[in-house]
Amino acid sequence: MKLKSDQVLPLLGMFVIGLGVHATYQTYRGSELSRVPRVGTSPGVAPPPAPPLEGQERPAPLSPGPRVQPQIEGLSIYPTVHKGMRTPFDLWAYYGRGVSSFGSPILPMRFEQWLELHRKQKPQLMQEVRDYMASRYDFSEEPIPGAFMSGGKPIMAGPVARLPEDVESWEALAALPASEVRARDLFPFKPLAHPLQSTAHMVFPRSWIAAHPEHERIDVDMDLPEAYLPEFPPPLFLTTHKELGDVTGGREVTLENYYEIFDGLLSPEQMEGLKELLRPTATTWFNHTDHRVTELPSQGVACFDCHVNGHTNGAFELGPDSRPHMGRLRVDTPTMRGNYNLMQLSSKRSIRSMDHFAEVEEYFDGDPGMQQAIGPRAAKREVTNRMADFNSILDYPPAPKLDPLGKLRPELATESELRGEALFRGKASCVQCHSGPAFVDDYMHDLQVERFYVGRAEGPIKTFPLRGIKDTPPYLHDGRLPTLADAVEFFNLVLELKLSKQEKQDLVAYLLCL
Amino acid sequence: MPNAEQALPPDAAKPASPDAAKPAPPSDPRPAPPPLPLNTVAPIRIALALIYFHFGFLKFFPDLSAAEMLSTQTIIRLRLGLDAHTALYLLAVFECAIGLLFVLRVSMRIVFPIFLAHMAGTLLPLFLLPELTFKFAPFAPTFEGQYILKNSVVIAAGWTLFLAETRAQAQPAAEDS
Repeated sequence: MKLKSDQVLPLLGMFVIGLGVHATYQTYRGSELSRVPRVGTSPGVAPPPAPPLEGQERPAPLSPGPRVQPQIEGLSIYPTVHKGMRTPFDLWAYYGRGVSSFGSPILPMRFEQWLELHRKQKPQLMQEVRDYMASRYDFSEEPIPGAFMSGGKPIMAGPVARLPEDVESWEALAALPASEVRARDLFPFKPLAHPLQSTAHMVFPRSWIAAHPEHERIDVDMDLPEAYLPEFPPPLFLTTHKELGDVTGGREVTLENYYEIFDGLLSPEQMEGLKELLRPTATTWFNHTDHRVTELPSQGVACFDCHVNGHTNGAFELGPDSRPHMGRLRVDTPTMRGNYNLMQLSSKRSIRSMDHFAEVEEYFDGDPGMQQAIGPRAAKREVTNRMADFNSILDYPPAPKLDPLGKLRPELATESELRGEALFRGKASCVQCHSGPAFVDDYMHDLQVERFYVGRAEGPIKTFPLRGIKDTPPYLHDGRLPTLADAVEFFNLVLELKLSKQEKQDLVAYLLCL
Repeated sequence: MPNAEQALPPDAAKPASPDAAKPAPPSDPRPAPPPLPLNTVAPIRIALALIYFHFGFLKFFPDLSAAEMLSTQTIIRLRLGLDAHTALYLLAVFECAIGLLFVLRVSMRIVFPIFLAHMAGTLLPLFLLPELTFKFAPFAPTFEGQYILKNSVVIAAGWTLFLAETRAQAQPAAEDS
């Protein structure tokens, strides 16, 4: 095709534009305004050589060694979004930095428009969330016969994560090397993102919303079925009154009834701490301002709204410990049961004391500026200490098959449970991290799960205590493992244990005893 | 270019015939509008080509296009089954291709429908994302809304280009008939 004269100049213009845009991008990325971090791929620079001492020869200059290379191959830059805008479900395949670490209490639109946006967006979003979750999991709601949580809720059988179509069994998948699983995109346990990460914050289960409609969000709902979440309301056990069992009598502890339930059982310090755990305070998105995700102004959220009865109702949010918001990891609510035994708290952060646990700015997504704008929530040190006083008497549920050293009593355990215990302490290597009275080592471990899929490395996560683990589905910090069977399959893959089907069933049977 | 008919005086254009004395049958008394000379619409074509290519090419680079959020959120709402990253990439390809079609002077009979389809897509945020495009609908658009509404000028420019080209092509055919 022969170009005419009036085509050549515009084509030349396009070429110049292309070069200009490319050059602009090279300058722009890594700048303080860009969300694209500049990652170093150039070799290190050797330090300048020290001047030789008198009478010595100058040593040969050192050549720089290799530098740690960024692990961003195959990842995309986080999309640009305003608060409330849709975000990808596979955020684990993205990376980047934020324009700022600091938030703003201002909505990107008028509140009436905010309501209208979510009125239109939520039905479509939740339909796509359901489709996405159904593509990853088979939520058949089939219970394990005879297995119940401490309050009587049936425990779901698994694994419910879907195997890739071209893999015939979990054992066949586990036989593949990590590199092949990654290359063929076969890993069934990729992370779970918040369904609406641009706003994120706390998402409560349907059972909680039924009892507390004031926490129903205008923008997003829980994505996991109720059957795969902890029971509501859960029992509450006290280390100081083991003889009483569940001291709540099956009720949800509230500001209205806590005094009646606990007066005469707790010390005044513990009572004050419990009251504080029950008192709602404003949060980033549950408050009385327009910067909220409820239709009506909200009194806020109390600690026990997620840690209901000192346990968990399965509500999730984002860990507040990172920026940008797109890069924050989804975290489930961990139980408070047995916190007295933990030297580190939280699933993704190393919170070192229960006082710190009570003080940490979870409510404002780790942004004290937002607290100042939306607050107030300022607990004095003596109050957080008293919250910890109550926290430290929340006990695990009973485990009648365990002896004082945490071993199964042979006369009470089944053959399968005993085989599971032997595997736990042997071939399956569980005991390497899950040891002691709470079955936890109080360390954080980097499982390097990104070996199995193209995704951003998530870093170390805290070992979860396994005492009472049957009561706290879903598992892992983001709840990507809806059942104990999924958790066993996950670790069988990630730790490359090569367990047989029977061995995995035995492990699940054992975990139900803890 | 002016056509041959226009170059002649009005009387010379009428062929002499025996029926010349008869009154002409009733018809539209206005003469057909002459086509715009193509060289007068060339700047429109070049401007459209460069704008399409420039704004499309920006979308290949993460975090560089100011229209990224508007584009991806609109595509998400259309439920095309595309993730935001792929959607933006395809849009970049689409816009750059339209720019090239303009500059290569591919027939407007082919380019114009593609151009119109794209323009219709750019108007969608006014309906799908009024919260982002209007401070108060419908007469107080946001900056993004103004950016979109100004596309009416682009559509008019495309229409002008289409008319100029199609009429210029049709004129010789009319003379032949």
